[in-house]
Amino acid sequence: MLAYVIRRVLTAIPTILLLIVACFFLMHYAPGGPFTSERTLPPQVLANIEARYGLDQPLWKQLWDYLYNIVVHFDFGPSFKFKDRDVNDIIAQGFPISLTYGSLSFLVATVVGIGLGIAAAIRHNSWIDYFAVGLGIAAQALPNFIMGPILILTFTLWLGWLPGGGWNGGQWPYLIMPVIALATSYMGSIARITRSSMLEVLNSNFIRTARAKGLPTRTVIWRHAMKPTLLPVVSYLGPVFVYVLTGSVFVDIYFSTGGLGQAYVGSALSRDYAVLLGVTILYGVLTVLVNLLTDLAYAWFDPKIRY
Amino acid sequence: MSLFSVKNLSVRFDTPDGVVEAVKGISFDINPGECLGIVGESGSGKSQTFMAAMGLLPPAGHASGSAKLNGQEILNLPVNKLNQIRGDDVGMIFQDPLTALTPHLKIGQQMREVLQVHEGLKGSAARARCLEWLDRVRIPEAGRRLDQYPHELSGGMRQRVMIAMSMLCSPKLLIADEPTTALDVTVQADILDLMVHLQKDEGTAIALITHDMGVVARMCDRVQVMRMGQFVEAGETRALFRNPQHEYTRALLEAMPRIDAGDAPRALEKAEEPLLKVDDVKVHFPIHVSGGLFGRKVPLKAVDGVSFDIRKGETLGVVGESGCGKSTLARAVLQLIEPSAGGVSWLGHPIVGLKRSELNKYRKDLQIVFQDPLASLDPRMTISASIAEPLKTYRPDLTDRERKQMVAAMMERVGLQANMINRYPHELSGGQNQRVGIARAMINKPRLIICDEAVSALDVSIQAQIVELLKELQQEFGLSMIFISHDLSVVRAVSNRIMVLYLGRIVEMGDGEVICSEPIHPYTKSLISAVPIPDPDVERTRQRLKLPGELPSPLDPKAALRFLPSRLVNGHSDYVPKLQEVAPDHFVAEHDTLDSIMANG
Repeated sequence: MLAYVIRRVLTAIPTILLLIVACFFLMHYAPGGPFTSERTLPPQVLANIEARYGLDQPLWKQLWDYLYNIVVHFDFGPSFKFKDRDVNDIIAQGFPISLTYGSLSFLVATVVGIGLGIAAAIRHNSWIDYFAVGLGIAAQALPNFIMGPILILTFTLWLGWLPGGGWNGGQWPYLIMPVIALATSYMGSIARITRSSMLEVLNSNFIRTARAKGLPTRTVIWRHAMKPTLLPVVSYLGPVFVYVLTGSVFVDIYFSTGGLGQAYVGSALSRDYAVLLGVTILYGVLTVLVNLLTDLAYAWFDPKIRY
Repeated sequence: MSLFSVKNLSVRFDTPDGVVEAVKGISFDINPGECLGIVGESGSGKSQTFMAAMGLLPPAGHASGSAKLNGQEILNLPVNKLNQIRGDDVGMIFQDPLTALTPHLKIGQQMREVLQVHEGLKGSAARARCLEWLDRVRIPEAGRRLDQYPHELSGGMRQRVMIAMSMLCSPKLLIADEPTTALDVTVQADILDLMVHLQKDEGTAIALITHDMGVVARMCDRVQVMRMGQFVEAGETRALFRNPQHEYTRALLEAMPRIDAGDAPRALEKAEEPLLKVDDVKVHFPIHVSGGLFGRKVPLKAVDGVSFDIRKGETLGVVGESGCGKSTLARAVLQLIEPSAGGVSWLGHPIVGLKRSELNKYRKDLQIVFQDPLASLDPRMTISASIAEPLKTYRPDLTDRERKQMVAAMMERVGLQANMINRYPHELSGGQNQRVGIARAMINKPRLIICDEAVSALDVSIQAQIVELLKELQQEFGLSMIFISHDLSVVRAVSNRIMVLYLGRIVEMGDGEVICSEPIHPYTKSLISAVPIPDPDVERTRQRLKLPGELPSPLDPKAALRFLPSRLVNGHSDYVPKLQEVAPDHFVAEHDTLDSIMANG
């Protein structure tokens, strides 16, 4: 187990290096740069600015310096767009916000989704099943950029119950709509996967054995059917966790939450190389970490898996 | 008074195509302590009868009629009432022990919960009862097993656990649904012995659901023969075998090949030039085992030095228990897997290590028919397209029309109706699909066909038809066959010579009839003696040769010398037993005397 974790962490290093290098070159080959704008700067000024950020150096030298600063100083460099702010600051400010409503969305999507899926499977072909399936499909068809405006229209403009945006240190009235908007469609997918997985498990031979032993239905479901049901769900949850953190750009825009999603997309549009790379690396590391945790979770769900 | 009494039981299934009546009003009784056999082929409703009685039908199934246990009506009882009966008064064991136990719960947990639910027994008292029963079903090291997961146990061991688990509360009735079908013959014989003991010692009545007349002959006091949801014949076992009344019973008994029939084809004369020559073929798979930071690889010797040849027009039977390398050998011969070492030559031309394009020239003559007929056909191709495909590769000169004619002729030859040409595999039965598989293999008139468990998944009556078809085709086209099966009776019925494999090596090879009636190697003897014979008198009086221990793992280096313990004692653990020609054309691997092998276990 420990050997496996070490092995996985070791293989993660070249993966992330590859990610950095690929991103770095992709960005530099994209047309435009951080200082190209409609109002062209005098060539001398531009050269000065570029020299200040080291953009006059050959690409390989820039890459090398960038990597060197990360590894030795854990410094992701200054932002090209926002003067006096460096990437570490931007991440330190935006990431806790994204993490807060992202984790909450993840929790809501998982708990409600799995609950709905199980209820539907246990009461297969009953009104609960039809209701859960209907809700799941509807939810899946409502991505966060549709849910956002709908929620604001309903709860802020029409009913006037909730504030239409802002963060305010994450007080709950400001959290509700972002969390729901982000969680809905994932909740729908999780409910669907859980339902079909549980239906399959309930049809399997070992469930028949458990019933033939005279176990009460709740023991059959919770003790015998639960773990195998959740196995495919868990493999879906890993990527979802990363998605709710990265895919939050619309939430940031609609609800002005100030999370990292908006900074990420903004940096791509303005060619803010440093911010874009910094956030990409953060998400890359997060993905690798979550995948590792997912794989370790498998071993708990299925004793046949040994690392 | 009868223990279990079923009156006019019907089972219906709601399907999208309408209501299907799986069981059509059957009645029977089981007396205390007796073993009743319910025999029939797949789809006869034999399992559904008991599932219905125990409330285990799928949601779409509905049961009507009456099923009484000790005079109490149990049919369609609510689940909480049924739960007091299931696992307590009635134990059940099922066909596939590999999937019948919950994979993520330890053996001990799964056994203890039965005691907890039915007797409120917990802790050390429950543990003691579990240990007692694991001992009684003869599981070695019972204490350690309680903390193991099902996947850490062999198939036979898991079925013992199932039996122990269903016997924990001393049920009056044990329902055994095909309990030995997925197991190797020697393991099957052990499990059946165990059930006989339980019936005698505990006075448990057994309802044995099976398709195997040999198992019935060994086990049952009375038999009910079932077909399409109805009983066609019932009676005392001996009388039913002696004098079957219904034509279906007769057909079942006739279709069942017998290992002691004595009419096996004889070996053919050695020819100058064998068709196929296999020389010391080895297939080793690297297996990843944990250890150290990066783990390490050890070779699994699936096939470890096998040599034989195939004569023109002969059938070579290959038998052995699961994991002995039968299928791997077949694939290595056809170069579907590249052998790790050794040579294969076809009519004197070596075919190992050839490039794909060169190999394809030989593939026309070398064909294979697989075990699972449905899974080995492309589900999106009509059966005529599947049959025609090899023609497109090897006979590009044919016009569409000629090809169609050849396909139609071949379909007719293998017994498929002409109007089936546009059917898809899922629209056909297992037997029909296997005919398609055979037609596809035969269409280019190959000279060698390998049948890899080609009839194992089929019902006995269909199995008999397919075997008959293969024999006819062999006569007609003069082709040779390698017939691989775990079922010795079938192999005996078709093979001129038989090769017995044990952990990737030949232990005995010779004339089919000689191998079956006068085997020399202890392993062959134990295999032959474990095969059930569909004749109650013969089956219940003959002696079984039981070798000590279970079938060992191919990763265990000592396992290869199970029959040569004297070498093991001397420290020669990598010694390879030599094949000796004890009589013309009869080879037996070096082995110790039976007494010393038995003593060693």
